Amino acid sequence: MPTRAAKVFWAIRHRFSADQRTAALIALAAAALSGWNLLNAPEYQDDEGTYTAQALAILEGRLAPYTYWYDHPPVGWSQLAALSWLPVLFGQGNQSSVGQMRYVVAAFFVASTVLVYLIARRLELRQVLAVLAAALFCLSPLSLVLGRQVFIDNVGLPWLLLAFYLMLSPRLRLWEHIGAGACFAIAVLSKETLAIFGPALLVALLHRPGWKTRFFSLVGFLSVGGLILAFFPLLALLQNELLSGPGHVSLQDAVTYQFASRPGSGSIFDPQSDRTKLVMGWMYYDKYLVVGGIVAALACILRREARWIPAGLLVFSAPVVIGQGYMPAMYVIAAIPFLVLAIAVAADLAWNCLALLVPVLASAATHSNTAARTVPGRRRAARGLTGGAMLAALTVVLLPQWLSMNRTLLETNSNADWQHALDWSKENLPRQDTALVPYSMWQDLYADGRHDPWKVVALEKMDLDSEFAVHHPDSWRAIDWIIEGPPTARNIKNLQLRNAGEALKHSRVVASFGDWRIREVVKNTQETVNAAAPATAEAGQ
Amino acid sequence: MFPTLIAATIGLLIVGVSVALFAIALSTLYVSTHAWWDPLTQASTSYTELLPKPALSFSLIMPCRHESERVMASTLKHLCEQDHPNVEVIISVGHDDPETAATAYRLAARRPEKVRVSLDSGAVKNKPQQLNTALAICRNDIVGIFDAESIAAPDLLLHVDSCFQIRNADVVQGAVQLVNYRDTWYSLRNCLEYFTWFRSRLHAYAKQGFIPLGGNTVFIRRDVLGTINGWDARCLAEDCDLGVRLSVLHRRIVIAYSPHLVTKEETPDSIRSLVKQRTRWSLGFMQVHAKGDWKTLPTMRQRCMAWWTLMQQHFMAFAGLCLPFSIGTAVLGKYPVPITLLAFVPLVPAVAALAFDVCMLHEFGRDHGYRIRMYDYLRLVAATPFYQVLLAFAALRALIKFRRHDFRWEKTSHSGSHLEYLGAAAKA
Repeated sequence: MPTRAAKVFWAIRHRFSADQRTAALIALAAAALSGWNLLNAPEYQDDEGTYTAQALAILEGRLAPYTYWYDHPPVGWSQLAALSWLPVLFGQGNQSSVGQMRYVVAAFFVASTVLVYLIARRLELRQVLAVLAAALFCLSPLSLVLGRQVFIDNVGLPWLLLAFYLMLSPRLRLWEHIGAGACFAIAVLSKETLAIFGPALLVALLHRPGWKTRFFSLVGFLSVGGLILAFFPLLALLQNELLSGPGHVSLQDAVTYQFASRPGSGSIFDPQSDRTKLVMGWMYYDKYLVVGGIVAALACILRREARWIPAGLLVFSAPVVIGQGYMPAMYVIAAIPFLVLAIAVAADLAWNCLALLVPVLASAATHSNTAARTVPGRRRAARGLTGGAMLAALTVVLLPQWLSMNRTLLETNSNADWQHALDWSKENLPRQDTALVPYSMWQDLYADGRHDPWKVVALEKMDLDSEFAVHHPDSWRAIDWIIEGPPTARNIKNLQLRNAGEALKHSRVVASFGDWRIREVVKNTQETVNAAAPATAEAGQ
Repeated sequence: MFPTLIAATIGLLIVGVSVALFAIALSTLYVSTHAWWDPLTQASTSYTELLPKPALSFSLIMPCRHESERVMASTLKHLCEQDHPNVEVIISVGHDDPETAATAYRLAARRPEKVRVSLDSGAVKNKPQQLNTALAICRNDIVGIFDAESIAAPDLLLHVDSCFQIRNADVVQGAVQLVNYRDTWYSLRNCLEYFTWFRSRLHAYAKQGFIPLGGNTVFIRRDVLGTINGWDARCLAEDCDLGVRLSVLHRRIVIAYSPHLVTKEETPDSIRSLVKQRTRWSLGFMQVHAKGDWKTLPTMRQRCMAWWTLMQQHFMAFAGLCLPFSIGTAVLGKYPVPITLLAFVPLVPAVAALAFDVCMLHEFGRDHGYRIRMYDYLRLVAATPFYQVLLAFAALRALIKFRRHDFRWEKTSHSGSHLEYLGAAAKA
């Protein structure tokens, strides 16, 4: 008599297709992996704090806790806000704000993983290779370290992948192409750098044998995508902030800053430049994925339906190679699916080549019914051998590097000092005092009974938001406390935060937790008065 | 306190209107692009293959009223010169229109073996009345309707014959296409409207099991017409009404489109007659809606679809006017940004529909051998808001007439301008 479990198993087997079942398993595995040690590694970044604070500001009816200055379209953190109930559902509602938001991002990471698998299937790769692609995406240390942080690239990525998934539909239906346009627009409105993959999406749409409604598909994709994108400038226009002008922020200024006036990352041909360091950082996390993926992408040119992969990597790398402007560290996030898919396609091609040499494998490799006619035992053996060989190669080449990388990520606690500094500050900082805090800690202190963004001031806002001078005409003297972490000095230097620098200069350490220090600003000694003179003059800017 | 309350009410109204407009624009987008939704849909909307031997016989009714001889002669010539071997034509005229009647008898005398005249002497004069009178003298299996000014393709009846046989149909609805797209600013829009109606919309409705038939190039089994007592003589949209009644009876209605088999017609010759025509249609749709036959459709889904289809003309007409108004109110009223943005959301499907219109105009030109110039595309886009105003005006006029129970038949006059386009297409 079949047990209850067997019955359930049977029902699932018959209700869902093999792909759906595999996708569900992949989702479970990805969810387990991304939840593992999520709060402890990697270290909380200021960018994570920024997006967390902006997402939670949405719930209070504002686009950002400070003046929203069009740094990014607000759709990315709006989605985080919309899903902010997720961690509470999983009993994680008492974690730090950034920590909770990491659970929300994990949902996007899981979605991306599943979509990598589904796209691989739409490319008609063997199931085992599609699973391999999803596994690579999940397990690569580069992906795992970036994918678990609160970056809006992670939010936009599943939308980009969904756009490709719809675009590659074998039915060539108009609504899928319109849907791809809508998804792409949402991806770009989540993180604008994803726009770079637009040409690759067009290659995926147009680079296949023509069909009757092709022109409609193109127009549907472009018009719906374009119309949705237009809502960002519309938002600026409605707030009277589209064009640059005195006394207000503007989309024009934000675009000029991001693309032109922001301090650049230098050229990749300069070994000392930030750009080179950044690329070396990506290589440090997973050189096999980066190099292997690019080589595999060249092989993808052999397959018509996969040519959008090299196209995507080409447009992605153009700014890396020829650009000199600012390049964010998260830029690589969107390229990872392209790299893993390239590897999977190349593996599929390799399998086919092997099949030409070894005929037994050929029958095992084809999708058609002829496979059933060969002797099952031999077929299974051949399949097992090839799969085993591939697995062995992976184990020897990849695993040692991955294990050491991922072990740090999955076992260590890098946020202990951060947590101690936060706990101490919550307990000891007087609520009426003004504290300058890093963005990674901002939301927690703000929500801890303070609720005034000008009493708990995010470090860069002191210099970059003109509202600060309205609330604190005394400039740096208004600051009573500074929480200093590893990124504080770096941010003061990179963003040229003069007033924050002054405050830091006139402060002394009162508590210290590893790299994290709590400082009290000293205002009444003789030398500080002298040093303060120039800063006061600037406060009116 | 009071002004705040008013502002909040208007804010809520904007949200509600935006949601409604979005739904209307989206459903319009869906039905008008249905034929291009899927490459498979394209194939399914065309005529069936051509059988080697025709098996049915046709009685074609050609209702005429105050028509010029040139227009009538040309239409009759194309009907009599069909490739199909078994065709009779009945010119239907009214006794109060002696000039047209005289022309009809003169034309019939030239082809006595094929053409007869049906003279309607009833007190009320309208198209369904004339059709019923003509139906009484029809002898053949299938009754087909052709307007006085429509030019049928020579092999149309052969294809319709095969369609009846292969699909086991009770009704076959062919396509009509207005062709004089260059004549006036509104004619281009009008031509495209017909193009999307027969190329796409009707197929979308058919898929939902509710079909408002057209009054031209429609073919019905004579026995089927007999069982439902022909057309409703009091209805201004007798064609739509027939479709509704047959849909309710689960009769098999086949909609078929093929570019080379469309029946060619011209647009109304002035804005005045366009408005008259549209008022008549709107009024007819309102009558059909009020008659309530659609309420007996079996499923809730079909009833909703029917209601939506019958009301769509009005929704569309007013949506076009509401949209700028809603956006204007939202922008000028200084509402919270999300509300203002929401007012713009219906623009996405509406503007996308306009982009698809451009594609369809391209396809219209290609299908019929017309050279569509850049100027035409610009004209299409520029004319849209004004055309929308015309439609809304006609709908409003119909609503007033409906309230006053004014159901007089307003005739659309024809100048025969489409005849020049036949030559142009033949040369192209």
